[in-house]
Amino acid sequence: MKMVALAYGFIWLAVFAYVVMVGRRLGRIRGEMDELQRRVNRTRGNAPPAG
Amino acid sequence: MENLSAKPPSRPTHLWVMSGAAFVLLMWSCQAIADAPREVTMGLVQKIFYFHVPCAWLLLLSTFVCAGGSLAHLFRGSERGDRVALSAAELGVLFGLCVLVSGPLWAKAAWGVYWQWEARLTSSLLLWLMLVAYVIARRYGGPSARRLAAAISLFAAIDVPLVYFSVRFFRSIHPSNTVVTTLGPGMRSAFWLSLLAFTVLWTTLFAARIAVENVQARLVELELGFDQAEETRS
Repeated sequence: MKMVALAYGFIWLAVFAYVVMVGRRLGRIRGEMDELQRRVNRTRGNAPPAG
Repeated sequence: MENLSAKPPSRPTHLWVMSGAAFVLLMWSCQAIADAPREVTMGLVQKIFYFHVPCAWLLLLSTFVCAGGSLAHLFRGSERGDRVALSAAELGVLFGLCVLVSGPLWAKAAWGVYWQWEARLTSSLLLWLMLVAYVIARRYGGPSARRLAAAISLFAAIDVPLVYFSVRFFRSIHPSNTVVTTLGPGMRSAFWLSLLAFTVLWTTLFAARIAVENVQARLVELELGFDQAEETRS
């Protein structure tokens, strides 16, 4: 019983850890995307009026 | 300067549907595994088989998908192929680790030892190590390591037939590939359901990982565009 619980527990845990890892990576990319958006907005705010 | 308002969708519907399907199938397969009859000689520990074999199948599938993507990257310069290869390699490492942990736990109960240096186990370990090498090269090797990593994945793909046929060509204590055909009806349905559930889980994780890679590539593209626009302005 112990071996079965260990094997199943490890597999569930590994898959869960991978899902968390991918989620965190996506969160970091979203943060970088927001930072880029802020830089663009700042640049647009400083840009001289067209024409 | 490109419009940055085109952000990636925060909740891609297909990923949620796939995740739901994977979860339902996994729960269903757990129920089927619990209901499946106990194997006469090994008893309860034989139930590791229902997760161990699907993980092994996904290790081999990941390696083939990784090699396919790498071939597209090596010979056609495909960026998409490169992203497919990296995503598949990561999943190969994940499910390979599950095989290499669940297998020895089963072996300890069935054979009395965790590990034997025999053909199936050794070639599986070698395959997993090659996928680990691929992921390490991609993570720490920079852009120039892409081609080297792609070559590693091709070697890994060559190891797949060796893993599969090793129990036929070498003397091995590992159960043969034909063990599935000898399962009783209750065991067989639990096994196929588990295999389906794990394959849907793999497809979901693969789609999610590809989506992350696509967003990352888009971000790099936008950052480059922004920097170029800044240089032109100044």
